[in-house]
Amino acid sequence: MNRSRGNDQLFQELCRDIGTNRVHRDGASQLLYSRDGSAFPGGIPGVVCFPETTQHVVDCIKAANRHDRSFVPRGAGTGLAGGAVPCDAPLVISTTKMNSILEVNYEKRFAWVGPGVVNLDLTKSLTGTGFHFAPDPSSQQSCTIGGNVANNSGGPHCLAYGVTNAHILAIEVVLPDGTLVQLGDVDGHASGYDLRGVFVGGEGTLGIATRIAVKLTPDPPEIRTLLLDFMDVADAAKTVSAIIASGIVPAAIEMMDKRIVNVVEEFVKVGYPTDAAAVLIIEVDGLPEGVKIEVERIQSISLEHGARSVRVASSDEEREQIWKGRKSAFGAVAQIQPGYYLHDTVIPRTKLVEVLEAVYEIANRYELIVMNVFHAGDGNLHPLLVFDPQEPGVMERVLVAGEEIVQVSLDAGGVLSGEHGIGLEKKRFMEKLFSEEDLAAQKLLKDAFDPDGRANPFKVLPSGASCSEVNHLNQLPDGAWV
Amino acid sequence: MGMNDLEDFRESVGKSDPVAVVGGRTHWTVGGNPTDDTRLVSAPVGIDFFDPSEMTVSVKAGTTLKDLNEELSRYRQEVCLEGSSETTVGGALMIGTDGIRRNLIGSIRETLLQAEYVDAKGKLIKAGGPTVKNVTGYDLCRLLVGSLGTLGLVGRVILRTRPQSEKSVWLRGGLSPEEARHICFRPSSLLWNGEETFIQLEGYGVNVDSEILNLKNLGYEELGVKCPISIPSFRHKFVNGMSLDNGIIDVYSSILYKSVEASEPQHSEEVLRLGNRVRKMFDPLGRLNPGRDPYRAGP
Amino acid sequence: MSTSLNLDKDHLTACISCGLCLPHCPTYQTTQDESRSPRGRISLMRGVEDGLMPLSKEVIESLDTCVQCLGCETACPSGVRYGELIGQTREVLNSHRKVSFRLRAGLWILLHMRVLLFGSRVLAVLQRLKLVPNKALPVPSRIPLRGVRYVQNDDPEVILFTGCVMDVWLSQVHEAALSVLDSIGVRYMISGNQVGCCGALHSHAGFRSTANKQALEVISALPSDLPILVDSAGCGAVLKEYGSLLGTQEARIFSSRVYDIHEWLINDSKWRESLPARRPGNKKVIVQDPCHLRHVQKAHTSVRELLTPFVECLELDDEGLCCGAGGAFSVDQPELAKEIRDKKLKSIQRAGRHLVVSANPGCMIHLESAGVEILHPIQVVAEYIGGKEDHE
Repeated sequence: MNRSRGNDQLFQELCRDIGTNRVHRDGASQLLYSRDGSAFPGGIPGVVCFPETTQHVVDCIKAANRHDRSFVPRGAGTGLAGGAVPCDAPLVISTTKMNSILEVNYEKRFAWVGPGVVNLDLTKSLTGTGFHFAPDPSSQQSCTIGGNVANNSGGPHCLAYGVTNAHILAIEVVLPDGTLVQLGDVDGHASGYDLRGVFVGGEGTLGIATRIAVKLTPDPPEIRTLLLDFMDVADAAKTVSAIIASGIVPAAIEMMDKRIVNVVEEFVKVGYPTDAAAVLIIEVDGLPEGVKIEVERIQSISLEHGARSVRVASSDEEREQIWKGRKSAFGAVAQIQPGYYLHDTVIPRTKLVEVLEAVYEIANRYELIVMNVFHAGDGNLHPLLVFDPQEPGVMERVLVAGEEIVQVSLDAGGVLSGEHGIGLEKKRFMEKLFSEEDLAAQKLLKDAFDPDGRANPFKVLPSGASCSEVNHLNQLPDGAWV
Repeated sequence: MGMNDLEDFRESVGKSDPVAVVGGRTHWTVGGNPTDDTRLVSAPVGIDFFDPSEMTVSVKAGTTLKDLNEELSRYRQEVCLEGSSETTVGGALMIGTDGIRRNLIGSIRETLLQAEYVDAKGKLIKAGGPTVKNVTGYDLCRLLVGSLGTLGLVGRVILRTRPQSEKSVWLRGGLSPEEARHICFRPSSLLWNGEETFIQLEGYGVNVDSEILNLKNLGYEELGVKCPISIPSFRHKFVNGMSLDNGIIDVYSSILYKSVEASEPQHSEEVLRLGNRVRKMFDPLGRLNPGRDPYRAGP
Repeated sequence: MSTSLNLDKDHLTACISCGLCLPHCPTYQTTQDESRSPRGRISLMRGVEDGLMPLSKEVIESLDTCVQCLGCETACPSGVRYGELIGQTREVLNSHRKVSFRLRAGLWILLHMRVLLFGSRVLAVLQRLKLVPNKALPVPSRIPLRGVRYVQNDDPEVILFTGCVMDVWLSQVHEAALSVLDSIGVRYMISGNQVGCCGALHSHAGFRSTANKQALEVISALPSDLPILVDSAGCGAVLKEYGSLLGTQEARIFSSRVYDIHEWLINDSKWRESLPARRPGNKKVIVQDPCHLRHVQKAHTSVRELLTPFVECLELDDEGLCCGAGGAFSVDQPELAKEIRDKKLKSIQRAGRHLVVSANPGCMIHLESAGVEILHPIQVVAEYIGGKEDHE
């Protein structure tokens, strides 16, 4: 095919435009940038670019246009739905080197950052200023703000503070035709369509963010972290529903079941009760008097609903360790089995008990191990099916079980994804939630931003055409699945 | 029954002629008036489903904020839509501006979880989802809020609710806006008339009381539950150095409320081009709210 | 070239590519490039093992640029044994290509104490004559002119492992360690020149057979059941690994006798008895953890415990990110080592203008050559516990 010849020309032009050291197309780079955190059996990138400026990104996209190529934006590659997996030999545009914090305005409480700034690095750089960046996905020590914008990332503390979209004021975007445009403004009041709002969560299919204005959130004066344990998963779930129904909105309510608590404790050794059926991590924050009230109310609600004990973290270190455990949960599952398959459905919080029960029942029926670790406060499940990919026939069971879990969630009035996005992985389920006409309406938005379909093709919407390299989508990959 | 209402609404919108939805007419001229040939229809009315323990409510777009809030307050909850009592849910969403309590209760853009709307071809489309957290597909709800009905005509929505604050109080005093910001943890409103700051505190009684005490020690006067000043109706974007002209600044959002209309906002050519492309996609014939343009509306 | 790296398949598949290692990898942190990250390197190893990837120039570069600080192992929630994977890979790579002259020469000299001593003395003289530009070589800025004659006790309770290059270049650290032992009345002997190199750098660079040979020599040279105290984190780490390296009962017993000197002291009753009632001054020091102490021996907290009675310990804000010294790394990959060090320097700067302490000669030399005022923690302790110096 003449693709490789096209590649040569494209490669040379990119080297000329953004500098040789910022353009890779060796086999090693192609292998490494064929996957993201999901280890999807990806396609192969045509060329991998490491722009350092907005102009570099514009140059990359214009080069892609000249050569009729698509492009895939990529942050740290921690995505869990294959959103950064290249299809059809695109340019992979890695924004990891655009990692400067450009401006911090404490008076107006915003900061302009490059898309490659790592989420936790931003918050760390604000230590001592009285502010932080609120979205805190579990991968926050590695994932980039650009990636957070693409996926509208969540995180434990989004229960009270809102997901990424609520914390992005403005975005400088290079559109798929190479046009540079600023969406939104730092006051959060730009008139006209909220294009900033739809760009967030666009999974890189609407353009590439090159500068992002994030909202700085004041640190709460008081924080209390509670660790509750239950001998019955249903009791933990009932407690969550009861807390929400009582009108308290804690900063975070997280749930982990016995299996995940055990692997996490093995890693952090902070004294998670490994004999409990489930634990809840609940955090409340705000002014001290109110925090005290909420701690007391949560304690009594949870005891009423069968909590065995309630432990309040006594120091910042203890609190940090508890959270470190929670946020390492996914990464720790390989202690049990080297493969995992994960869903991200959201269900009404009032349906937690029955849906969890169904999830365990499905896993049992297919003789699979399921681990549950999730944002219970907003009903965002993360059922993890853990398995050994070498075991013959296991893939089929995992896939069918996964699909049943999705169906149970949707039947309970839920949605497909709360924070990981649709990417490649979940688009086959989109028709379960939306009608053909609903999906056609979503396509209008995509077409307005990207009429030629160059930005991260084959993602989000289940289109007729599918990525030729990833047409074995229904086959889980060898090895790991995150 | 709910479905029938929506189906009636869909039929009344039709498929071809210029059409707009009329609600409480409380913000009728924002972004321009509909052209004369525009047929006016009404959105269905009524609360379909309110689950207090889930903190979401399904409501038809023609319902007034007054009726909705009455129902929600029975369970000590509220939605973050602002307007007068005659404003409809659909109207408030299509205008899409935040009120002065945004700092505490969040933006109206975070409130709309799911929308069922009639598109330019007369089809009923569902956008978003019923849960409080959702990234399934493109978030067309974001696009609808503040769109002035130019992309689709909303018939029914699911909104996020929030618990009402236990206590709410206004105070008036002499701190500068910057100082006031530092003193208070998370006031719901912070207004400035050029001389004094007006602070609204909300939350648990004990929290509010301790902050009141703080502020009183700094010379602040407690003024009760109702907003102590009347806020002029036109929103201007405040930039440092601009004269207040008897207006009032919402410090957190940098909106200057004045009694004179703002001049049309400026947008970059690139933004306008993209915005118009979006509108053209959703409504190629220009039949939805012709004459109105979100880019001509104020901040 | 299709080659097998002979890697353990279970270890390879244990990595699920979650990316939680990325912020703890010094080379990823400086390059933001997957091929310079642990998960990237594991992917490439997997690619080579599965026959998807030839052992290309880029693959070798990716694997060669690993400092082997093992910060990723500490960070990995699934406990991927990256150290074993990269160690084995390095060994296979070395058998397939020419190792740079610099690296070979450096490793060779460690095994030849006389050459090392002679060369160092020449270098020391040249330094005094200002004939060696500062920072030109990865050596301390002032190598001692002559060897130290250590006094040893009869009937020793412990052995101080003095090693090779450290004894020649940084003998003042050994002197400090011995003075601390003296002050608290612990009787000691030293391993001395005849024992020589522990093989840490050889093991690190993937020359396992040389490392094994050194291990056998060291073990047979230090019989008895006395505890072996080590004031070099790199040497301590490998001495503790002899057991698994050689797989013999004798080696395992030997390794169980090995302690980092800080680790040993804080558990010693004589030490505890001689601690001051309160801190003698308000001096602050910045603690820079050697990776071999923090990520391999996991004994880094003992440094703080040892210092805290005397000085206030300040932490760096980089969660134990490597300084770029990495044994022979700074010789083999000088540019990358410098970039990594630049990050460390910034972190040190943020912690304030204070003395830095690091319990490993390699880190001391690497940071000192960038102008950092640095001592071994035991030197700071020696200043206080001996009562030699009066501090503000």
